Amino acid sequence: MSNPGNSDILLAISTPPFWHCGRTIPKHSLHTLLALAPAALLSILQWGVPAVRVMALAVLTALVTEAVCQTLMKRKLTQDNGTAAITGLLLAFLLPASAPWWLVALGSACAIGIGRMAFGGYGANQVSATLVGWALIFVSFPAFMDPTSSLLQTSLFDPLLRIKYFGSAAAADLSLTDLLLGRQLGGLGAAQSGALLLGGLYLVLRGVVRWEIPLAFLLGVLAAASALHLMNGALYAGPLVHLASGSTVLAAFFLATEDSCSPHRRIPMLCYGLIGGVLVMLIRTFGIYTDGAPFAVMLINLLAPLFTLIRSRPFGARPGWKNKAAAEQRRTEA
Amino acid sequence: MKQYFQMIKAPRFRLVHDEHRPLSDGPAPRRIRLNREGFSIVPGIRKKTLVCPGMLLAEYPTLDKGDLHAPIYGTITEINARSIFVDAADPAAAEPGAFPEPPAPADLLQEGTEGEALVQAVKRLGVNTRSLGRRIRTLIVNALNPEPGVCWAEPMLSEHADVIQAGLQLLRRFGRAEELLLAVPRGAKVSFPGVTTVEVEPMYPNSVNELLIREVTGEEAPPDVAAVGLHNVWSLGRVGTTGLPLMETVITIGTAASWANTIVKNGSLVGELLEFANVSLKSGDTLLRGGPLRGESLDRLDRSITKGSYGFFVVNAGEVPPIEGDSPCINCGACIQACPTRIDPRMLSRHAEFGKYDTPRRENFRLCVDCGLCGYVCIARRPVLQYIRLAIKKLEAEERLARLTPIEPAGKA
Repeated sequence: MSNPGNSDILLAISTPPFWHCGRTIPKHSLHTLLALAPAALLSILQWGVPAVRVMALAVLTALVTEAVCQTLMKRKLTQDNGTAAITGLLLAFLLPASAPWWLVALGSACAIGIGRMAFGGYGANQVSATLVGWALIFVSFPAFMDPTSSLLQTSLFDPLLRIKYFGSAAAADLSLTDLLLGRQLGGLGAAQSGALLLGGLYLVLRGVVRWEIPLAFLLGVLAAASALHLMNGALYAGPLVHLASGSTVLAAFFLATEDSCSPHRRIPMLCYGLIGGVLVMLIRTFGIYTDGAPFAVMLINLLAPLFTLIRSRPFGARPGWKNKAAAEQRRTEA
Repeated sequence: MKQYFQMIKAPRFRLVHDEHRPLSDGPAPRRIRLNREGFSIVPGIRKKTLVCPGMLLAEYPTLDKGDLHAPIYGTITEINARSIFVDAADPAAAEPGAFPEPPAPADLLQEGTEGEALVQAVKRLGVNTRSLGRRIRTLIVNALNPEPGVCWAEPMLSEHADVIQAGLQLLRRFGRAEELLLAVPRGAKVSFPGVTTVEVEPMYPNSVNELLIREVTGEEAPPDVAAVGLHNVWSLGRVGTTGLPLMETVITIGTAASWANTIVKNGSLVGELLEFANVSLKSGDTLLRGGPLRGESLDRLDRSITKGSYGFFVVNAGEVPPIEGDSPCINCGACIQACPTRIDPRMLSRHAEFGKYDTPRRENFRLCVDCGLCGYVCIARRPVLQYIRLAIKKLEAEERLARLTPIEPAGKA
């Protein structure tokens, strides 16, 4: 060795590239949790200890379920990357503060167990894991999931419910500011649309969330709600009410953007978001559910592979490349 | 914030450094390790042969590589299947006549040879002529630093313009291209007689040849256009100006803290270069030959820097998040968005990971230009580029096998 002083040094062998942008899964999770923090705080201010109880239980169950599944699957434990905590917290955001403990635990365990681990773990699920857990308990125990029927000691109300059954005038006394500040009945965090919007914008600026999806999603809601409102203003509420109520913002920034369930190129992402937004309005207006956002996201999750089929032109391909490529394919097969 | 929002437009990907210190000479090597794979050793060269700078050691059968010459006075200590080792010796200390006389300079610029004869002459002087362009309509000289971190392009264009000028002159006399363009960073005031200068945005990955061609011509993969690196033109110019065989290479020696451009002897050991650059290592550091995005990591300090290498970097432990074994792809799509040729590195890497080398063919894997951005942005720290390279290699081997005609057993007919 030419450099005897250094002979005991063990060099690390690696593969290119040797530089890295520094972004890792734990950091992404940290940013997401930061983005969710304002909504969580406002929700705790509003509902107090019951809100803390639901969120803590959902997060804890998610972490434990993931750990149990990973142990059974003989995998490395990855609770420290924070992704399970996010799934649990997002689920809590969709539940009412009054949710009984077994409902929270069941939802969270199913979200991780069926929604994520059954598909192979984080990043392998086709449908948002949070929403799988949510849909399961929402469909099975609708009475416990409905904030209007389970939270009786409050003067707040669910604007979407009123609009659905009493027309747009029923929610007219609720200002946009009230909606954005979370003075509405809904999921724990989902109702805090203003705080979620801030958090979502933070994620977009951080590049954790691809801006095309939330933008197109919100545009879809805006466009569909505007069209319906113009058709019949007495029956259908204005677009801003729909943007700020229910779980529209949560769905746009946090649920629809789940990486593994959404397309990754620009045009597919825009289509994906746009259709999601329109679906929200269709379900809210013509479906039986008052808040269509979670179901809309599940539907576009399932459509994502179709959007992915919108391929970009291969580098250097000229017009007619399809024919040429097909001809080449035939030649190699022959 | 900016770093996160605009991953690829990160300032570190800017290929202009306002670096105008002239290239300095590297250390006088104590030991040399030359790569001889594929070369045939010249008769008379064996262990214990005394060699002098410029003495021919081995020839390469094709134009893919230039012939191999000894870069220093010394004794051959070992010749094995892969390498030739030379220990330095002082000719003044030896008795007169012990060392052979160094070859006389050949003035290629004045001689007036042209075309293939010149190509052969240059190849015999140790320059890789294959990469200097095949027969083509337009040849673009890529005067961008090839990768982020590498910074010899600017001093070459300004402080060593005479060498580049000679290289361009020889390149034109090769007669391989009808038109010669020089692609320089935007804002660089560079001009060489007889060569049209084109300005391009000096942002990685524009320095990758395929993408540079797109920047210059506005077309993706146009036929009849090729690109050649400034590094090669410098080597050519070096041979043209000195008249001696090519015995050195220009590299950027870089760490996180500092960098310098150095002309080092072919075969210099990285341990000696580290001493020269006053870099001390800790366990867990990574040494890499080439650039930070496309290079290769070295396992030992007695590996060497050979002709054609353009960089030598130290990445300290902890500078980048570690790669942790077989981390699965989480489908985040960052690589898809980063890929300049719009392929899907995510699926390619996953197919390669599980040995399904056939699927990449449908995914246009051949369009990979090896820029390394997929791995740079991977938040799961997967060796994406390595997986793609593996798939390409496996498929090429498969196709080579498929082209072979099976031999009929003898005596059957």
